[in-house]
Amino acid sequence: MQRVDRGRLRTALRRLRARPLDGLVSGGLILLIGWVIFSSLHWLLTAADWSVVSVNMPLYAVGSYPIDQRWRPLLWMVLLLLLTGWTLFGPRRGWLRRTLPALWMAMVPLGVVLLAGGLGLMPVGSRNWGGLTLTLLLTVGSGVLALPLGVLLALGRQSPLPVLRYSSGAYIETMRAVPLIAVLFFGQLLIPLFLPMGFEINRVLRAVIAFALFAGAYIAEDVRGGLQAIPPTQLEAAAVLGLSPLQSLQLIVLPQALRIALPALTNQAVGLLQNTSLMAILGLVELLGISRSLLANPEFIGRYLEVYVWLAAVYWLICTAMALLARHLEIQLDPIRSTSSFNNT
Amino acid sequence: MIRSLHAPLISALGLLAALLNGCATLGSGDSSRLDLVKQRGELICGVSGKIPGFSFLKGDGKYEGLDVDICRAMAAAFIGDPNKIQFRPLTAPERFTALRSGEIDLLSRNTTHTLSRDAVGGNGLSFAPVVFHDGQGLMVKKDSGISSINDLGGKAICVGSGTTTEQNLNDAFESLKLPYTPIKYQDLNQVVGGYTQGRCVAMTSDRSQLAAARSGFADPEEHVILDDRLSKEPLAPAVVGGDQPMADAMSWVVYVLIEAEERGITQDNLDEVVKQATADPSQAALRRFLGIDGGLGSKLELPDDFVVQVIRATGNYGEIYDRHLGAGSKVEIPRGANRLSRDGGLMIAPPFT
Repeated sequence: MQRVDRGRLRTALRRLRARPLDGLVSGGLILLIGWVIFSSLHWLLTAADWSVVSVNMPLYAVGSYPIDQRWRPLLWMVLLLLLTGWTLFGPRRGWLRRTLPALWMAMVPLGVVLLAGGLGLMPVGSRNWGGLTLTLLLTVGSGVLALPLGVLLALGRQSPLPVLRYSSGAYIETMRAVPLIAVLFFGQLLIPLFLPMGFEINRVLRAVIAFALFAGAYIAEDVRGGLQAIPPTQLEAAAVLGLSPLQSLQLIVLPQALRIALPALTNQAVGLLQNTSLMAILGLVELLGISRSLLANPEFIGRYLEVYVWLAAVYWLICTAMALLARHLEIQLDPIRSTSSFNNT
Repeated sequence: MIRSLHAPLISALGLLAALLNGCATLGSGDSSRLDLVKQRGELICGVSGKIPGFSFLKGDGKYEGLDVDICRAMAAAFIGDPNKIQFRPLTAPERFTALRSGEIDLLSRNTTHTLSRDAVGGNGLSFAPVVFHDGQGLMVKKDSGISSINDLGGKAICVGSGTTTEQNLNDAFESLKLPYTPIKYQDLNQVVGGYTQGRCVAMTSDRSQLAAARSGFADPEEHVILDDRLSKEPLAPAVVGGDQPMADAMSWVVYVLIEAEERGITQDNLDEVVKQATADPSQAALRRFLGIDGGLGSKLELPDDFVVQVIRATGNYGEIYDRHLGAGSKVEIPRGANRLSRDGGLMIAPPFT
């Protein structure tokens, strides 16, 4: 081992002697990178005052949720974390693995019940939801609504019925031509004006619907890409086998199309998570919103850098987890790499 | 044929109208928002949540600040409990929508009282008396020897470009016939950056923002905000227009805070004062103010002791100011125009008779 290293070093030195300019450039770059790493570390460890993060950790996690009920959003997030860990690192086979999809599906209603209350829990209004909990709920909630909408729109766009085809197309094109922030402003500012006085749709719900309507259009195009990748001969073969159009859609087209569209859908999910931060300028105290409220606290004024570095780290962690989950799903669905799933079913 | 088509349509319309009607009476309708608040037992107050000294989130998830205390005073008067309150963080564009759609009862969010926000042809709001006279100010370093705008002739001043701030600065110097060099930046943070790096002698923005920026400096005590005022920004709470009981109740709660300061009644000496006034029938004006005689509260559809409730909850105006913006606080703004009128400020309450 050591001999190999020494050999490598010798080769590197010989190359450096042969081309002094290259050596100079490499050395300069190494110095530059070292300086950047050193000064960032120096700031992170000595100059930065992390009290703005450590003191307010509960607020970042659950917002201004009533203190004696904070275990509810925390429980939900811990369950999400456990489920993520189990999916990524748990055993590859067994009944627990087979119940995973159902468990993931159950997380959305469970989250809503835990947060909003009911079923014996003290009701907590959505105005008290905030922080990471709200960010996750917005992402998951709008994702769950947007996916079926997107699939339906994609199918509608390929439908032989002209009304369905053109209206789906028109919807997708319109939504893609409007900036997301305009859709969100519409949902938050204009919808309440159309409604009669005192009649109020929950602000969080309005945001979730606006996100879902917007993301649905993009998902539709991703799914259409998947649909078009399936050779028409498969449909003909299905028809020959006597499958009804619905059956061939369900058994042949959609499973393959969604698998092909998965990388693009992951992209959408990550984008959706990051777009939820736009709600900060519309008054929801999700992760970014709560940070801005905390920065107005005279005790923490001027601690922008610490807060935004911390936020970047949190967003990075969640996005990485989502990407890993999606990668895992891709492997699971790959018929060549996970033949075991065929044996199981 | 026509008939058969119309009948279901009309009945559907009727049903819709009945539904909408039901919803409307559920909100304000003919009755005052004040009744709704009392019935609900909770005040929904719109705040910013992002302005140091006025409304911000503390570590325990509670809001604090001058705007927040105004809300608490209202809740104490309307419901009798300053904690029966929901704070709704609102951004500037959505604040009036939230008020008009009934999402909030009362707006206490650094809102400047202007004609177009007041008038029926504009936003159609009802404003309470001003709770903070803000205005554009100038901040300089203490050791610069500058004490008023007149000393700034020919100096460099950092300002946000394309804003009314820039316009006001120009107007002020033009009317004084003084030359100056504006150094323009895109946003407030850059203005602050320019000022701290010494590119200009003074920086200008709203005084509350100057104070907030200063509290983030490493050496806040080395900077002073000059007394000169380049614009007027009277900030006041507001409710939906056309609802007199609500507007009156809100206005007189603000007056209570000012009157209490005029009379020297504080959170600490309140019980003492009430005891004395109850025992001494000769103090007619004080007894009326505190609701021992006269039934002033019931004229506002509030409990007669609403004054006592308000002072107990938040103290008088001076106490609120000192708590959040006073000398000991981190966001220090000289009281200036926000002093009582007898001290040379603009704060005055009409008689409680």
